[in-house]
Amino acid sequence: MSVPSEHLFILAVVLFAIGAAGFFLRRNVIVVLMCVELMLNAANLSFLAASRMHSLAAGATKPSLEGPTFAIFVIVVAAIEAAVGLALVIALYRTRQTVSLDAVTDLKD
Amino acid sequence: MADALFYVMAIAAVLAALGVVLAKNPMQCVLSLLACFFALAIIYLLAGFQFLAAAQILVYAGAIMVLFLFVIMLLNLGAPGAEDPTDTRMFSRANSALMVVVAAALLFVGALAVRRAGPMPVTRELPAEGLDPIPGLAGEMFGRYLLPFEAISVLLLATAVAVVVLAKRDGRAKSGGNA
Repeated sequence: MSVPSEHLFILAVVLFAIGAAGFFLRRNVIVVLMCVELMLNAANLSFLAASRMHSLAAGATKPSLEGPTFAIFVIVVAAIEAAVGLALVIALYRTRQTVSLDAVTDLKD
Repeated sequence: MADALFYVMAIAAVLAALGVVLAKNPMQCVLSLLACFFALAIIYLLAGFQFLAAAQILVYAGAIMVLFLFVIMLLNLGAPGAEDPTDTRMFSRANSALMVVVAAALLFVGALAVRRAGPMPVTRELPAEGLDPIPGLAGEMFGRYLLPFEAISVLLLATAVAVVVLAKRDGRAKSGGNA
């Protein structure tokens, strides 16, 4: 693939903006968590795009491995975040019978 | 050929991401997210990250998506007509225009940053073993990044404990009632 790396960065930016918009707009906790996953994926893509940019630049001899390593860490953190978030959703549903963020304003009131 | 496939997959990923935000039913959101993850895995593969593409499929599409589907089915949120009424009018709330503007500003700033970074042409051939060879990756992870690796293993253990505590059916109230 000979696509320049900035196109990968642009895709990461677009996905991050869509995820952020969903995070702000939606009120269903589960969908909000999915939007966080979307943003983490965009971050992953930009890590890999940066790694690709350095690995395929003129004069580079071996692939730069920081990007893939951090992408693996991000994947692990995303899995942890989904597990804890969904456990919280289940605890919330058990006490309130709702998954709407509008119903959970205890600290605001 | 590979270039055309990249652009097709990029468009598919963006459309699927829009589906996550705009779909009314949480089940449709999960399936859109799954499509987005698969498109991203193909993009990783095209860009030369073979191991990361496999990890993306295994961890995201295999584990995380199953977790989301499991919770949606457990709470019975995917039934037709079970949409959250607050989400059916998500664009008509008072501050939703502001939120869209914030997201558009993020998009604009990001695009500007990429533009300022200048062109990043591909000047070398992709090596046959890809850009994330597993021996090299293992050397990084168990060498330079050994401490973060151990920290993340502790984090995983703490998560396992925390999830059990959170999702357990009110154990404290029960034991309090018996005492």
